[in-house]
Amino acid sequence: MDSFFNQYGFLIVSMTFSALLALSLYLPLMAGQLSLASPAFYAIGGYIAAVLSTQIFPVESGAPFPLERLLLEMLIAAAVSGVLALLVGLPALRLRGVYLALATIALVEIVRVLSLNLEITGKAIGIFGIPQPFATKLDYLWISGVLLLVSAFFVYRLEHSRMGRAFAALREDELAAGAMGINPTTTKLLAFVLGAMLAGVVGAVSAHFLNTWNARQGTFDASILILAYVIIGGSRTFLGPIIGGLLLTALPEVLRALAGVPGLPPLAVSFLQDGRLIIYGVLIVLSTLFFPQGLITPALLRRWNRKGRA
Amino acid sequence: MNALLQVDGLTRRFGGLIAVNNVSFEVATGEIFGLIGPNGAGKTTLFNLITGLTPPGSGHLRYKGADITAAKPHQIAARGIARTFQNIRLFSGLSALDNIRIARHVHTHTGTLAGVLRTPAARREERAVRERALELLRLVHLEQRADEAVGGFSYGDQRRLEIVRALALAPELLLLDEPGAGMNTNEKAALSDFIRHIREQFNLTIVLIEHHVPLVMGLCDRIAVLNFGELIALGSPAQVQNDPAVIEAYLGE
Repeated sequence: MDSFFNQYGFLIVSMTFSALLALSLYLPLMAGQLSLASPAFYAIGGYIAAVLSTQIFPVESGAPFPLERLLLEMLIAAAVSGVLALLVGLPALRLRGVYLALATIALVEIVRVLSLNLEITGKAIGIFGIPQPFATKLDYLWISGVLLLVSAFFVYRLEHSRMGRAFAALREDELAAGAMGINPTTTKLLAFVLGAMLAGVVGAVSAHFLNTWNARQGTFDASILILAYVIIGGSRTFLGPIIGGLLLTALPEVLRALAGVPGLPPLAVSFLQDGRLIIYGVLIVLSTLFFPQGLITPALLRRWNRKGRA
Repeated sequence: MNALLQVDGLTRRFGGLIAVNNVSFEVATGEIFGLIGPNGAGKTTLFNLITGLTPPGSGHLRYKGADITAAKPHQIAARGIARTFQNIRLFSGLSALDNIRIARHVHTHTGTLAGVLRTPAARREERAVRERALELLRLVHLEQRADEAVGGFSYGDQRRLEIVRALALAPELLLLDEPGAGMNTNEKAALSDFIRHIREQFNLTIVLIEHHVPLVMGLCDRIAVLNFGELIALGSPAQVQNDPAVIEAYLGE
């Protein structure tokens, strides 16, 4: 069992990061806003942690990076991402639907190009040798796992509170929501800022976890991947994005393991090994065909609830 | 006359079409005010202007003496003007209870964090909102279906639910856009009683758009008639009924 966790420590923590990023995309979506900006704030959060830990709070080599400093970095990343989201969101949220998605992709690109060219972000090389607070990759679960539980609890409770219902009203019918007294601008902005803060925090942890941080983190590809987690997992409840993020991140590794099953014909082995992306794409198409609302739907949750009570 | 709403020289153009042309009238506190006119006369546009969904081209709107001409829809709702829509705009994927709870937004104060942490104040507010919402659902006999998504409700139930959702805003002025559309004669009579009942119970002033002449004549204290965006008559049901301009607008020369 131990060897399993050590072998797959990297994967398990990556799965929790994906689930968290999926939640960060889900938050604005709760208010009906299709924002693909999560990778931009993820990248910014990562650079904040990378710069702070390598230049501002250096530790002597060999000593573990103090945990409270990591928590401080996470707070700073959340604050900076939140303020930036406020500034960007005010003009961007005037756009609707796919136009907002395009504007947020532009933000992701701007952050990428800036980090490729700025001195402080290490240009194309990026920042490496980011100090480690933990001895093994699996230990990062203490941060990412707890963060996932707290975020899931936050979003679940939010869905059943006054502000969460205001988000849902905007998603259902923005015009009627306004006529019922909900301020569309500030409510959408709140949802956008919450999502950005979460993505920033995840970036800060991720930078330590990956040890290096560069312009390949948080790109347009990541936008699409995170969107796939939400769509396949289910975009109507907090659980959908989490399940989507966890499953889709584990999937390539599961396929790799399948390829190792003895007795398979060589063609199948090479397909499972090298055709992972094809399988991945086919699964995305199939699940949107057969589970158009995603794997986890509100009806499914209601059924579980009823069974739990009975 | 104690005017709750003053409409003063309101005009709105859409391209070459003048949807509402220099319309002025006042709605007195406590009355049921009918708005009638042929299709395309500008009745719904007038509602959209009053509730801020469409900004006026020129003219002024005053509510309880305050200028609301440039106010946003949510600000107008917060001041106490609630409405229903001609083509029902409930939050159809949400439960009946949630539809009504959402309309309590401006009268509640729980912030994001307090709501997530369920502080004592948040719990208290949540309980009060739930009770209030169930009370309103009882008014239209939908309390048993509080947790069902409203998209599956019958047409009549949706119409009535939309009215009580508007009531959840605790408005003083209620705008009803064709509340009886698609109902048969019996249903319209029941609706008429219901509207009178809620006016008494909630101390409302009501402006309604309706095509069904018996309903309008029996229910309204005063009636305004619009035709091609212009106000062509204003007065008691009997006055309006015999007005030659109104007869011409409806029947032609």
